[in-house]
Amino acid sequence: MESRLRAMKEDLAAPISSRRSSFMAWEAKKNTVLVSHGRPPWYGEDGQRLTDAFVIGIAGGSGSGKTHVARQIVSALGNIPSIVVLSQDSFYKRHTPEEIELAFASLFDFDHPDSIDMPLFAQCLSDLKQCKQTNVPVYSFAEHQRLDETKYLYGASVIIAEGIMALQDPALRSLYDLKIFVQCDSDLMLARRLSRDVKERGRDVEGILGQYLRYVKPSYDNFVHPTSAHADIIVPGMNNTVAIELITTHVKRQMEGRAHHFRQKLATPRIHLPAVAAKFEDFKLDVLKMTPQLQGIFTIIRDANTSKQDFIFFVDRLSTILVEHAMAHLPYEPATVMTPIGTLAHGSAVDAKNVCGVLIQRSGGALERGFRRVLNDVPVGSLLVQSDSSSGEPLMLQVKLPTYVRNRNTAKDTFVFLLDAQIGTGAAAFMAIRILLDHGVPQDHIIFVCFLVARDGGVLVIRRAFPGVKIVCAAVDDNMEEGWLDDPNSEALGRKFWLMQPGMGQIGDRYYL
Amino acid sequence: MATPPAPPQPSMDMNANSKHMNPLPASVFTLPQTAQLEALFTIIRDKDTARGDFLFYSDRIIRLLVEEGLNHLPVIQRTVVTPTGASYDGVGFEGKICGVSILRAGEAMEAGLREVCRSVRIGKILIQRDEETALPKLFYSKFPNDIASRYVLLLDPMLATGGSAIKAVEVLMEHDVPEERIIFINLISSPEGLRKFSDKFPKLKIITGWIDEGLNEKAYIIPGLGDFGERRYCE
Repeated sequence: MESRLRAMKEDLAAPISSRRSSFMAWEAKKNTVLVSHGRPPWYGEDGQRLTDAFVIGIAGGSGSGKTHVARQIVSALGNIPSIVVLSQDSFYKRHTPEEIELAFASLFDFDHPDSIDMPLFAQCLSDLKQCKQTNVPVYSFAEHQRLDETKYLYGASVIIAEGIMALQDPALRSLYDLKIFVQCDSDLMLARRLSRDVKERGRDVEGILGQYLRYVKPSYDNFVHPTSAHADIIVPGMNNTVAIELITTHVKRQMEGRAHHFRQKLATPRIHLPAVAAKFEDFKLDVLKMTPQLQGIFTIIRDANTSKQDFIFFVDRLSTILVEHAMAHLPYEPATVMTPIGTLAHGSAVDAKNVCGVLIQRSGGALERGFRRVLNDVPVGSLLVQSDSSSGEPLMLQVKLPTYVRNRNTAKDTFVFLLDAQIGTGAAAFMAIRILLDHGVPQDHIIFVCFLVARDGGVLVIRRAFPGVKIVCAAVDDNMEEGWLDDPNSEALGRKFWLMQPGMGQIGDRYYL
Repeated sequence: MATPPAPPQPSMDMNANSKHMNPLPASVFTLPQTAQLEALFTIIRDKDTARGDFLFYSDRIIRLLVEEGLNHLPVIQRTVVTPTGASYDGVGFEGKICGVSILRAGEAMEAGLREVCRSVRIGKILIQRDEETALPKLFYSKFPNDIASRYVLLLDPMLATGGSAIKAVEVLMEHDVPEERIIFINLISSPEGLRKFSDKFPKLKIITGWIDEGLNEKAYIIPGLGDFGERRYCE
């Protein structure tokens, strides 16, 4: 806390110009493509998480303006999708029918710390802090009850937890990087509460007032206000723009320090490889056995003069062969069935609870038809990872995972076929694997399927970081060369990228454009 | 450092092809006898498998069989330039092919063939047992005109006694297709049928998915999967 306060004082002391420039980098941008909003890598070359998400706890009385402060922080941080606001309201405990009756009569004490499921709150926050997914409960104020559904959250680099009891529980407090208490006069809080509960939660004035005197006020005095002693900073409930700017400047500085830590390291992993290490046997790849037909297919799809129609047809044919081959990595168990002529047949069956596919957009989509010819009734998720045009580092833009994977309880029993056209620098593949591991999918349940692997590309980094992941490919190409890509969607002139040689060219472009 | 990729899990020993036929005739090739292939067969053997699944999983096996069959066709050296400007020494497909399906079950394999070989020509043969002689008899055939200059993929899902398959090959040879340019593709064979067929046409390659135990008194393959055509089209 000492150091945080010091950092804030330094922020204030810094010359205006430097504050301005760091502020600009994170400022909310309008009319920019989503690229600028992606999430940069949050892990190191060894695949391990480099840093936790930054967690802010905001407490204060009911109606003190916690949500407003949280929103201001979010918008000052650039409104990027990797910020999440977690509300204590989601964590009201599941109620018995009697409690629900009391609640509808405004006789239930929602303002006592015991009404909050603190262990679950801490668990969700801890998951998010560790960059894992979490399934947040959904509470309905209309029904006064926790619903059966949960809300899936993943991928935030800044988390704001807000609620009157946000600083109450020691387990929660230990998770915060910054603790804020919003201080506000009681009459102002009551006025805000009245207006909100009538408008947003459909209550009547009498009920609200009764509840206020019976529960809210004593709770504030007994539980909420005392927790302000734990806060790093106390923010006024109104006219607080200066305080919020102070906070956001501090958070931005923290975030920049963290981002700096790993930039440059992963975009082109091969640069950081010790030259001696690239022994092919170390890759432990499962490469398709070359056959005359396979070689013929490769000759057609590698040929620059192949027509679009032929390219698509033979890519589909190749992906079918490849996924059929990759099926060997699922577990099988003995199974006996009765045939139509009344004899028993002793065979086998897939021994996996859940199987799904996840494709890395866009070129991973080139494997989808083949995948569907082999597994037609499983969910297929998608990940959009693009490299940033200035830094070259991968950015996570969209995560759409099958429900098996979203839920940690089922993720651990799920086999995932991760589909991408090739492993060049391996940056996107690396990020995709990290995302699956964050969700609790075991390494040896991930089967990475691709057409090509570059011998001196990022595959070795992937292999080192994730030794258990299975990698199935159709061929291994010898080297990678630096290329220059003109990107018409980018303001920049173009960007550097790595081309596999002999390769198949830009597989996504050839398959889709 | 890392564990090597898991080798394909083998099928159960009792199902191994060598268990039912050892050694294999030189002209007989089977798909790798892995647990994953065995799992596909287990699904289509199961009498309780719904028709949709029967179609889907038999198509998967048929594609694998056709891919394997095509590997027995010749290729020639061919060098191409890739979009990155590199040259790649590959091969080109050589020789025209056509499929010939033995009605009616053989037709079930046409979709799989066309998924692998786009717009391939397909001929048809109808052979049925002659009620008087109890021998297989040709009722109908329709082939591409230039069939004599093509490689022929002969399609019939089950090889039981081998009677109709042998008759079909005889018909093809009457149309001047040389024995060595015919590749017979089927899902399940009986050892009896394979022996009879390969003794008669030793130069004709047979690609089969699985070799089963044998035939029962009604000449059904054991354990088999019942009547393929019935299950695919009628049930």
